[in-house]
Amino acid sequence: IDISLNLCAEAYIPQKYPDNRIVSSKYTFWNFIPKNLFEQFRRIANFYFLIIFLVQLIIDTPTSPVTSGLPLFFVIAVTAIKQGYEDWLRHKADNAMNQCPVHFIQHGKLVRKQSRNLRVGDVVMVNDGETFPCDLIFLSSSREDGTCYVTTASLDGESSHKTYYAVQETKGFQTEEEIDNLHATVECEQPQPDLYKFVGRIHVYQERNEPVVRSLGSENLLLRGASLKNTEKIFGVAIYTGMETKMALNYQSKSQKRSVVEKSMNVFLVVYLCILISKALINTILKYVWQSDPFRDEPWFNQKTESERQRNLFLKAFTDFLAFMVLFNYIIPVSMYVTVEMQKFLGSYFLTWDEDMFDEETGEGPLVNTSDLNEELGQVEYIFTDKTGTLTENNMEFIECCIEGNVYVPHVICNGQILPNSGGIDMIDSSPGVSGKEREELFFRALCLCHTVQVKDDVLVDGQKKSPDSSRSCIYISSSPDEVALVEGIQRLGFTYLRLKDNHMEILNRDNDIERYELLDTLSFDSVRRRMSVIVKSASGDIYLFCKGADSAIFPRVSEGKIDQVRSRVERNAVEGLRTLCVAYKKCTQEEYDEIHELLHSAKVALQEREKKLAEAYDQIETNLILLGATAVEDRLQKAGIKVWVLTGDKMETATTLFKLLKTSLRVLSKDEDLAFIFYVSCRLSNDLQDFGLIIDGAALSLIMKPRQTGSSGNYRELFLEICRNCSAVLCCRMAPLQKAQIVKLIKLSKEHPITLAIGDGANDVSMILEAHVGIGIIGKEGRQAARNSDYAIPKFKHLKKMILVHGHFYYIRISELVQYFFYKNVCFIFPQFLYQFFCGFSQQPLYDTAYLTLYNISFTSLPILMYSLMEQHVTSDMLKRDPSLYRDIAKNALLRWRVFLYWTFLGVFDALVFFFGAYLMLENTTVTINGQVFGNWTFGTLVFTVLVFTVTLKLALDTHYWTWINHFVIWGSLIFYIIFSLLWGGIIWPFLSYQRMYFVFIQMLSSGPAWLGIILLIIVSLLPDILKKVLCRQLWPTATERTQTKHQCLSVEQSTIFMLSQTSSSLSF
Amino acid sequence: MAINYNAKDEVDGGHGSNLVVGSHTGPGNAIGGSGPKSRRPDNTAFKQQRLPAWQPILTAGTVLPAFFIVGLIFIPIGIGVFVTSNNIREFEIDYTGTDEKDPCNKCLFWNDTKPCICEINFTLEQPFEGYVFMYYGLSNFYQNHRRYVKSRDDSQLNGDTDSLKNPSKECEPYRKDGDKPIAPCGAIANSMFNDTLELFQMNESSLIRVPLHKKGIAWWTDKNVKFRNPPGGNLSEVFKGTTKPLNWPKPVYELDEDPENNGFINEDFIVWMRTAALPTFRKLYRLIEKKGVLHPTLPVGQYLLRITYNYPVHTFDGRKRMILSTISWMGGKNPFLGIAYITVGSICFLLGVVLLVIHHKYGNRNNSADIPN
Repeated sequence: IDISLNLCAEAYIPQKYPDNRIVSSKYTFWNFIPKNLFEQFRRIANFYFLIIFLVQLIIDTPTSPVTSGLPLFFVIAVTAIKQGYEDWLRHKADNAMNQCPVHFIQHGKLVRKQSRNLRVGDVVMVNDGETFPCDLIFLSSSREDGTCYVTTASLDGESSHKTYYAVQETKGFQTEEEIDNLHATVECEQPQPDLYKFVGRIHVYQERNEPVVRSLGSENLLLRGASLKNTEKIFGVAIYTGMETKMALNYQSKSQKRSVVEKSMNVFLVVYLCILISKALINTILKYVWQSDPFRDEPWFNQKTESERQRNLFLKAFTDFLAFMVLFNYIIPVSMYVTVEMQKFLGSYFLTWDEDMFDEETGEGPLVNTSDLNEELGQVEYIFTDKTGTLTENNMEFIECCIEGNVYVPHVICNGQILPNSGGIDMIDSSPGVSGKEREELFFRALCLCHTVQVKDDVLVDGQKKSPDSSRSCIYISSSPDEVALVEGIQRLGFTYLRLKDNHMEILNRDNDIERYELLDTLSFDSVRRRMSVIVKSASGDIYLFCKGADSAIFPRVSEGKIDQVRSRVERNAVEGLRTLCVAYKKCTQEEYDEIHELLHSAKVALQEREKKLAEAYDQIETNLILLGATAVEDRLQKAGIKVWVLTGDKMETATTLFKLLKTSLRVLSKDEDLAFIFYVSCRLSNDLQDFGLIIDGAALSLIMKPRQTGSSGNYRELFLEICRNCSAVLCCRMAPLQKAQIVKLIKLSKEHPITLAIGDGANDVSMILEAHVGIGIIGKEGRQAARNSDYAIPKFKHLKKMILVHGHFYYIRISELVQYFFYKNVCFIFPQFLYQFFCGFSQQPLYDTAYLTLYNISFTSLPILMYSLMEQHVTSDMLKRDPSLYRDIAKNALLRWRVFLYWTFLGVFDALVFFFGAYLMLENTTVTINGQVFGNWTFGTLVFTVLVFTVTLKLALDTHYWTWINHFVIWGSLIFYIIFSLLWGGIIWPFLSYQRMYFVFIQMLSSGPAWLGIILLIIVSLLPDILKKVLCRQLWPTATERTQTKHQCLSVEQSTIFMLSQTSSSLSF
Repeated sequence: MAINYNAKDEVDGGHGSNLVVGSHTGPGNAIGGSGPKSRRPDNTAFKQQRLPAWQPILTAGTVLPAFFIVGLIFIPIGIGVFVTSNNIREFEIDYTGTDEKDPCNKCLFWNDTKPCICEINFTLEQPFEGYVFMYYGLSNFYQNHRRYVKSRDDSQLNGDTDSLKNPSKECEPYRKDGDKPIAPCGAIANSMFNDTLELFQMNESSLIRVPLHKKGIAWWTDKNVKFRNPPGGNLSEVFKGTTKPLNWPKPVYELDEDPENNGFINEDFIVWMRTAALPTFRKLYRLIEKKGVLHPTLPVGQYLLRITYNYPVHTFDGRKRMILSTISWMGGKNPFLGIAYITVGSICFLLGVVLLVIHHKYGNRNNSADIPN
């Protein structure tokens, strides 16, 4: 078999096909180190630290290269090990995949080979339950009708069995020999990642005849990764192999979303980089001003070497600048990146561990697909939610049908279950005429035939053949749950859909006779047309077209039937909140059908714009229909489903009214729930808010969104945006997936750049989920596509509340404190060093010892903040859940605003001034020991450093509101570690060090009384302003959070007992 | 329901076999492959974020007592420290001799081979009791300059013979003199303070030498552990093959006659080698032992300071001082700590009062504001 990939111009270009190896691994054994290093240093932060390290290596800098090399090495090594391990796992998985045996046909014989040896054009045999080794064109199947069932669960998460069709001309080839004799050419498009699109054609050469041309569509293409079900074996020809398979093409990482916190962090980094550069510049300039006196530059006691003297002035100035940069580079700490990454990664475990968000029914807990956006959950201002399946349980119930104005209500019908007293029909308004009777029969048959439901074949699974009578208990599978509800509903009314066999649909009618209809064509459903049709040929030779769809899609195409009665019934049902569908039919003659078939065929064979041509063909065919009736299906709301708006952070009263409003509007507007799309706009924080709701449907929206040619394009959009923003709730119904994304984008890009969250469960929500700042998927019944493409996935909509109000809030306050604190502690750390330059002749003399410089961020002050950022709960989670107004306190990135950032920075500068000048005044030109001996510069630095470590750790202790034993352990532990380390570091002559400058410095310092007094004094003075600010703000301008905390504290005694109770009973109450 | 369960199994299986490619994969994926049973989270206090915790809140009520307590503790400490500092006797004399009238002025531009000796008279108006410490002080001397600080070889000073013969490169340009390694090498050693100070009590017409002790001025650990002479008996033998620092008149093994105070373990040398933190500093020079309970160590009266003036400081605008000081438990005279403690204590106390007022005035308003919420 020849395969040619066809380009648009239909010109044949010889192709080089890849082999069937899947390579998901990034590295090989040989290129791991260089490639991984390259990848890592592409990150701007790592690159910056590398530059600092290299500068330290090359020029004579004040601190040894170890101080920045060690942390950098640590970070790089940890990341490399992690990535290496992940890649090793990928290699293993790749190998397993590439080496798994595949049966394929060679010279008429069945050969086993490894999957990686497969080439394009090979004919492959796949047995039941196996996965396809590459993308195959389906040639023939062991089933006589040339179909096979496939589940694509691992590709798109759709667990239903899909039917694929063999190429008509080849479906008869059943043995290896027959297959081997096949001569055919396949033309197809270049590989592309869309799983549901494929166009191609096959030319089958039969002896000396003209080759037969057949169109190939996605229904003929078996995708790699999907697996064969309920079919003994199939033959297929490999068409895309290896990295060109659709599965491999889909494994591209999604575009990275960045959280606001990360953005502010980057801005702060730039600020600090500017501070760093200006510090270094100031010092360099001052150095040369100061040195202009020769006796200062080179006094007799401190001569330069000859080479230093001869160096060019500008070169000297430049190296001095670099040396200052190196000296102050700790102001941008490597460890912050590591800590932030660790915090995000470890922190996201708390989400997956949360028991309250575990769904007993499905056995699923929340999934975290990216931990980059944890804190964004605390910043959400707008929530966009899809209604179907998200707010509702997606558990459909057939309520009634209306045929020609007669309403039929089955007694009790429940999804998937047969209740004993079912089967009867209540006839309301029963006056069926003769034609009515005929229409009624047609209506039921239409519902029985016009669908894409599959029957789960229990026969093959169980191995024991059941009599056709017992097939009432068979299980229907479909990608759309309301189709199942409809077929089951019709079953209750006496018509049972049995199966699709050899292109014949079998139904069991009321008289228990099997009727067979030949399925001629299916005009499949899509969300633009919002209807589907089947063309069937009955046993008596009549050809019918049955069409089923949304009322708005059907009514314009109907030429006959009791339109008004049906319409009124449909509208009544819609107001009731039911999903309605209309059914119509058309009878064709053989000639008409031939025409239709020709039209469809030409559209299907087209290689270009096949979609468009098909749509046009469908449009032509589905006209002049005769209306039969309508159905109504109820989709139950999820329990405790719609309480979202509370979290948008408004007052209780507003929330309550909103609740009512939404409740009513939901009832009114769920006319066409299939496409209904709701989004709640966060209540604006102003108090004069009035609770307006806006309701708009997709058609109107597309008018609004359509750019106007007259140049006033923006007007409608902006007006709409303005209206939307002043409404507390907006409902959009009948939206196409792309429109959903458009709405999200509209809000996202509006003036204030609000943070949006989109939540949905179906494939049609994916675009919106990808568009929004945070995308949440519901692990629901409509498959896993939404969950796979989302950033977070939760089992039920109700879990969103805890996710945002509690976890989001926690994540946000934790990471914002982490970021601010990191900058603060490094200002405290580096600013004294900057000040010291003014007292050491701008000679880049470091204030602290190398060990302190290196370990400050790595070990002395790292764990407390990491633990804080994992454990902190400023308010209990119950409180956060109970009082959504607390969410308002952190809205709009409140804790990382410039004001807050400046406060932290100035606090850092103040503390640094206190440390430095405190130590200066204490040690300047005096002795502080009882034996009159004097201290040197290293004691000075150690004193400052001791105060520094204690102050920044205690500052964190002041900010900690939730002291578990872990916090106690790390905070006091790291202080004790600092002391023990200093004692050890100064207690021994370290043989590997070339200098012994710290020998006994720390111990000597502690032996001096005034040093103790000074340390205590300086710590208290440094902490005083922060304590004062905290107390005054709480007293005079308390935030909602602080009020809650205070209230909570008043009740603390009782609370603790309640807390214990709730802990034990939690498994019962949630 | 049966459909769903089957479907879930397939989905999970699929997850296990396909690795999700992406830079950040959360823990969800890691857990995904481990089957449906382990997906149920443990109900442990840690995983549910319900660890028992102490939840302190800084309110005016809780901070108030702390402020008062800090105030009440700090003010007495401050007063104590301040009084102690004030009771310390300190006398300082600048003998740089830049002024024409200074007795040491002649030494500024001394050209003779004999050392310049100048004498300064001074009067102690208060008796110095207990141990008295004699310091020399230098100003505008950047002992903390980076090039200076690192210009030493600690292993050489620790008695390492390899480093003695081949000093560290950090010592440049004071590493070698010609071919011979300098011991001790480096700028710090080279610029060692070499004025000799002698103190005499003037008794009518006669001068009584005040005995100055040169032991116990360096840290014990420096003298006994950090600084060591190279192994071997005779110091001059040990230092053979090395040369003296350029500015030194004598080699290192002739610093003192006492073998316990000679070579690298000479205490004057050790004191000098501890580089000062700031450009104005003092270093301990000598100890004056107390005479007994009844007699002050240095009674009121006239004294004479005889200086062998070797150390040039005027070239870099430096100053030289001689300081006499008594010592308390908190070291030398330093009013800063006392004043700081008193100030901080008072501020805390004041803040306590202010907070008390605020607490009473605004506290009620807040409580009432709480109710409608």
